[in-house]
Amino acid sequence: MKYSILTILGILLFFSCKKEYRYIYDVENEVVYESNSEKNKQKSSAQFISILYSNLFQTSISLQESNQLSELRMAVGDKQVADNLIINNYVNSAGVNLPTDADMRADIPKFVEKTYIRFYLRKPTPYEAKFLKEEIENDPGLTPKLIYAAFAESNEYKFY
Amino acid sequence: MKRRDFIKNTGLIATASIAAPYILPTGRLFAASGTRIVNHVVFVLFAGGLRNQETVDKLYVSAQSGFSSSGNIMPNMLTGATPTNQLVHTPWTPILTNPLQQKGTLFKEVRYAQGPTGHYNGHTVAITGRYTETGLNLNTNPEFPTIFEYYRKHNSPGESALNAWWLSEGLGPYTTLNYSAHPSYGPTYGANYLRPASVLELGLTAFNQAVNYQPDDVARINKIKNFLNNNFDKTIADLPGIFNTDGDRDLIRQFILDTVDKASTGQLPLPTPGNNPNFLTGDLINIAASWQVMETFKPELMVINTFNSDICHQNYSSHLGALHAADYGIGWLWNKIQSDPVLANDTIMICMPEHGRNLQPNNIVDNNGLRAIDHTGDDNSRRIFAMVVGPSGKVVQNQTVGSVSNPVGQAIDVVPTIAHILGFLPDIPGGYLNGSPLLQAFV
Repeated sequence: MKYSILTILGILLFFSCKKEYRYIYDVENEVVYESNSEKNKQKSSAQFISILYSNLFQTSISLQESNQLSELRMAVGDKQVADNLIINNYVNSAGVNLPTDADMRADIPKFVEKTYIRFYLRKPTPYEAKFLKEEIENDPGLTPKLIYAAFAESNEYKFY
Repeated sequence: MKRRDFIKNTGLIATASIAAPYILPTGRLFAASGTRIVNHVVFVLFAGGLRNQETVDKLYVSAQSGFSSSGNIMPNMLTGATPTNQLVHTPWTPILTNPLQQKGTLFKEVRYAQGPTGHYNGHTVAITGRYTETGLNLNTNPEFPTIFEYYRKHNSPGESALNAWWLSEGLGPYTTLNYSAHPSYGPTYGANYLRPASVLELGLTAFNQAVNYQPDDVARINKIKNFLNNNFDKTIADLPGIFNTDGDRDLIRQFILDTVDKASTGQLPLPTPGNNPNFLTGDLINIAASWQVMETFKPELMVINTFNSDICHQNYSSHLGALHAADYGIGWLWNKIQSDPVLANDTIMICMPEHGRNLQPNNIVDNNGLRAIDHTGDDNSRRIFAMVVGPSGKVVQNQTVGSVSNPVGQAIDVVPTIAHILGFLPDIPGGYLNGSPLLQAFV
């Protein structure tokens, strides 16, 4: 009897402890919105600048640049003016990650959907997709750079 | 008293109150609504905490134990001989032939009568015309309306935000002074705000790739943006802060790019001797940019501050140097105003420190053996001055008002004074302002 109990305890001890593996996936959590009506909080200056940089350059902004742009944004009373200048500078910078005009026009519906997800974290409604698709098709001068500038300057982009 | 008599008397008193114009203690009446003295006002908050001893009393270092040299270190603003010995600052040759004191009225003893003598309190008092009795929440806009909001709401017709500007030497809480949290006013009536030192320094790199889009491209961006905005239920009015019309915003954006470009190419006129950038201080950068705003937009209401003199907490000699440099900047700005065909002879400048400093110094001694001075609310830190300068025939020239035994004017009087100059004082509802316009300054 005594040996039986010891044997059972030994078996339990052997199988009860198992090394726990922690898997860390290098993916940031992102909210994908069903619609823009869920967005009711304004991005802070730091959030706006950081997200803008990530959206345009597909990499993280340095702390120094983030702090400098936050100061610059604070130094201009009309934030629309400050944002416009920052966005203008970024979309015309050398390192910005923009699709080419040819890429955009090769598959316009795909470009439209990717742009909405990139900036708004949601898919366009059929109405939105149709409008932007037709604008691109009908205006050879409408480039990805100008479309990105419009999205980044829009009101929805200032909320989350 | 019978009920009927009471009602009758009350009615008569009320009728008389409505019919009779408000008579000031000076015996003069407010100007009729809409009647302006000039069309442009520049209010320089000559801030950082300045004692009357070093300014209008012209004591230089003689107020300190063991020093005897006195004299005027504000030769562009005040009359009087400059100090000649025991110099602890580098004198700059005045830019004005005749000091501003001769071009207007100096209120030599003005009082900051109530509340803490803190910098933000002092700024708030000067810009709202209301004393603040307690410490302020530095992260929020003032409780009571600012002069900008009174101006934009009560002018007829209402004025664009391009006509009202607030430029500060520093950031922090001063960014919130362009509009109040008052429910009847607020950002809709606020002023445009800039902190030029940040815009010019950081803008050199932050805007160096920005381009001037062709009109066709601007139209394309706006068309897409308008579509996107029409599909979102919030507007820029839901965002905190001042906002301009689309057209005004374009003008401001272009102005910022142009000013940064001028600064980067050495084209920006500087308020320093010989236009030397090595002499620039934070105060002088603010004044240089102020002139750019004035020259470009010809605003009707401009408020700027200087602040570098606050180094007096640690270094009295540097305090005097900063005061001397700021005086040069004010003279330079006045010269610029007089060189402009729109602003010349149609601008009144008001200068006033936000508060003073203590009578007794602290224990920090600088390299010249001079002791630093704080501002903790003693009677001396409530002594300030105010100067109203403008065209002859409108502003009384070369006049000094008030004395230690007979102070005239308070820190809360500048807001009603500006409202009086621009003709909207009668339109401000009763109960908002406790001060009175400094009418002695006007012809």
